[in-house]
Amino acid sequence: MPKIEVHENLFNSLLGTPYTDEQLEAVFPVAKAELDGHDVAEKLYKIELNDTNRPDLWSAAGVARQLVSYRDKTIARYDFFSTAEEEIDSGGRRLVVHESAALVRPFSIGFAATGKVVDEEILLNLIQSQEKLCNNFGRKRKTIAMGVYRSDMITYPVHFEGADPDKAHFVPLHMDEDLTLREICAKHPKGLEYGPIVADKPVFPFLYDDANEVLSFPPVINSARIGAVEVGDEHLFFEFSGTGLDDLLLAASIVACDCADMGFTILPVRCEFPYDTDYGREITVPYYFQQPAACELGFLRKMLGDALSGEQVVDALRHMGVFALVDEKMVYITVPEYRNDFLHPVDIVEDVMIGHGLENFAPELPNDSTVGRITEEEAFARKVKEIMVGLGFQEMMYNYLGSKREYIENMHVDGSDYIQIANPMSENYEYVRPSVIPSLLESESVSGHAVYPHQIFEVGKVAFLDDTDNSGTTTRNYLGFLGASSDMGFNQLSSQISTLFYFLNREYVMRDMADPRFIGGRCGKLVSKGVEVGIFGEVHPAVLESWGITMPTVACEIDLDLLK
Amino acid sequence: MVAAKVLEKASVEALDESALNEEERDFVAKNSKKRGAAGSPLKTIEREEVFFTLTDAGANAKAALLAANITGEELGSVTTSMLSSGSWKRASFRPYSLNTPPARLIPGRRNPYGSYLQWVKDKLCSLGFEEFDGPLVENEFWNGDALFMPQFHSARDIHDVYYVKNPSHAKQIEEPYLSQVAQTHENGWSTGSRGWRYSFDHEFTRRQVMRSQGTVLSAKTLPHAKVPGKYFGVARCFRYDQVDATHGADFYQTEGIVLGKDVNLKTLLGLLKMFAEEVAGAEEVKYVPGYFPFTEPSIEVHIKHPVLGWFELGGSGIFRPEVTKALGIDVPVLAWGLGIDRMALMHLGLNDLRELFTPDIESVRMRRGN
Repeated sequence: MPKIEVHENLFNSLLGTPYTDEQLEAVFPVAKAELDGHDVAEKLYKIELNDTNRPDLWSAAGVARQLVSYRDKTIARYDFFSTAEEEIDSGGRRLVVHESAALVRPFSIGFAATGKVVDEEILLNLIQSQEKLCNNFGRKRKTIAMGVYRSDMITYPVHFEGADPDKAHFVPLHMDEDLTLREICAKHPKGLEYGPIVADKPVFPFLYDDANEVLSFPPVINSARIGAVEVGDEHLFFEFSGTGLDDLLLAASIVACDCADMGFTILPVRCEFPYDTDYGREITVPYYFQQPAACELGFLRKMLGDALSGEQVVDALRHMGVFALVDEKMVYITVPEYRNDFLHPVDIVEDVMIGHGLENFAPELPNDSTVGRITEEEAFARKVKEIMVGLGFQEMMYNYLGSKREYIENMHVDGSDYIQIANPMSENYEYVRPSVIPSLLESESVSGHAVYPHQIFEVGKVAFLDDTDNSGTTTRNYLGFLGASSDMGFNQLSSQISTLFYFLNREYVMRDMADPRFIGGRCGKLVSKGVEVGIFGEVHPAVLESWGITMPTVACEIDLDLLK
Repeated sequence: MVAAKVLEKASVEALDESALNEEERDFVAKNSKKRGAAGSPLKTIEREEVFFTLTDAGANAKAALLAANITGEELGSVTTSMLSSGSWKRASFRPYSLNTPPARLIPGRRNPYGSYLQWVKDKLCSLGFEEFDGPLVENEFWNGDALFMPQFHSARDIHDVYYVKNPSHAKQIEEPYLSQVAQTHENGWSTGSRGWRYSFDHEFTRRQVMRSQGTVLSAKTLPHAKVPGKYFGVARCFRYDQVDATHGADFYQTEGIVLGKDVNLKTLLGLLKMFAEEVAGAEEVKYVPGYFPFTEPSIEVHIKHPVLGWFELGGSGIFRPEVTKALGIDVPVLAWGLGIDRMALMHLGLNDLRELFTPDIESVRMRRGN
């Protein structure tokens, strides 16, 4: 979940009036935000945002906008958005996308901002917005990359093309060397990090102005000159490149609204594409692309369990900064410029719920009468556990992931039907547990200090490969138990198995087997109604040696799903 | 002759030094050894007389024993011969000290964490919930797609979910759910949604993962759920996380659903209140808006616990129609999850999640629930 740091001064000026920490905590849920901390010395609020589908909230201006709407019942208005019907004058500023861009990153849009001197707080805020939008919303720059540039150095129009990675070159930010795009991927830290997004393409994205001054190599790195925005700059150009136009337009709208809230004047840029897009070949950005949304009042009332009046619904939405109208049957909303999360009428229902105030909905118990019950497997497991406890065993509970050493090497088996994790975080958690016995032996290996005899068991899940299943694997409920002491042996184990089966009221016979985990001639299969349901025996000294166990040990494992 | 006289007397009985005259004493001294009489006619024997008397305390004890009629002939352990012969009738039993430290016993025992989970299960059953369960290996379809999480969602990243190496893909996904879910993602299908507007990847949806959220089982229950119906599961889940005091490689999630024609936000709040009071023993309950990709609206429930203070007990919401309709359900479905491990740790007096699955036998043996 996105976390942001917001400077007190900036946040307070956006809010209009300062809030105490307690007041913030009380009002933050409206923005699904949590106050994670307040660094009084550094004057920083740490805020966690829970809604991963509301990127507009991931900045100081966004959170403040939501809180102010809720407090003042105001709807933020922005006059710089072009629409399909009405185009705002772009003053000759153009961004031209070339045909070659389609081969690597088909869309690039931008706008400019002016009228406010960038101070340290604003700069940090811009960098943070860029990071949150591109990392969290733009999937680590894969679908959205954003750059900020010094607009006063740019000779419009700006060009975006797919360039030859071995020919196009410039001096990247934080370096002195003039490098080709491919060299940047190999040498620059950001190249190493984000180069792989485009590395396999025939051309690389390249952004430059009409005087051939380079802006950047999106989504990797800005140039050291036009791309080096500093405190004191007053004229900015924002560019967004990526794979989906809606996401880019939304990201541009969010940043434009944030900048306007911080005191900038937004200067639109006309973006020209050589191919058709959902919104034509020429789009003046910021561009309002959202469709109106609606919800039946009957549906809304049924979902909330409350017969809110049309007026209450409009009022609640106004608290959320959403303009709404109602008639007898429906509520119609104008989606705010900075939001695009109204996928279904239920999304309007939730905004009404928050705007109306959760505390105004009284909890009610569901009326429907239903019968509660545990699964058959759980009922059988409880029966087994009761008998095992009666036999003097301590119940254990284990993790279901383990290492190759534990499950395969120490057990002296080949592990050919074990489930392996493709992307283990560490070799300690590389396999899914195929058997309870390695877990029990691990216990034995770390419990030499515990008073003997050791008698332990677990009823839990194991999983292994099984070609007959759709997944090629099967998950089973197993009982495993282990005894260890100086006089533990086959006879005692045999008695315990006999007692267990007697009280489970199941017949069984023992059959010879050869299994490297056990001593030959002192182990066997348990067969019930003609089906192999388990194995048992004296654990082989070679296995004990691998685990570092020096106490005679017996073990048994039974598939309860087969026995049930 | 002193010598003859002394030797004659000494041959009959030992001489008493105090009864000899000086001459005789002198003779004895010259002709005896203190140790080992070999080579000398006489040997000296030294004697010491010691007298014992009862102290006052001893005298009191003696008086008490006499008063209690204890003679020192009392019986110890009861024996079979004592019982069959009836000899016990002619004697009394020696009383044992009550305060001798007893020897340690190692009983057969349930694991207290398991007992706690069982208590939670029984509690939920008593509230009318039916238990569900499922396999540890899932596919992307059930683990995310069916929950209307877009296939590009960040929580579905290689750094969040464990992929199964082999077989990497399930053979097939059940129809009509696959088609319905795929269309819902692409354009909303007939759910009333506009969908996520991307091209659904039919290869990706079959990719196998270790179940990463208990909600998977809720989704899998929907196609064959009863209406009205209440279901729950305590599901082992797996996350790609650094293992530490607050993150396990695998852990239990307690989740469930409520289906009904008339369930809504208010009944969701009522349900959460019931959980807060019955399962968590909450003193106060607070609801705040939350976010989950598969519910809308979404609610978090925070409770004031008598020991732990305020904390987030769980997340919940009403399943999005994109989830329910695509799986063939036309009534609202409340979905909820409870973070019970925090209470389990408190119950067991632990503060490290890893301890819940410790292999250390002694540690588990000594563990008590509160």
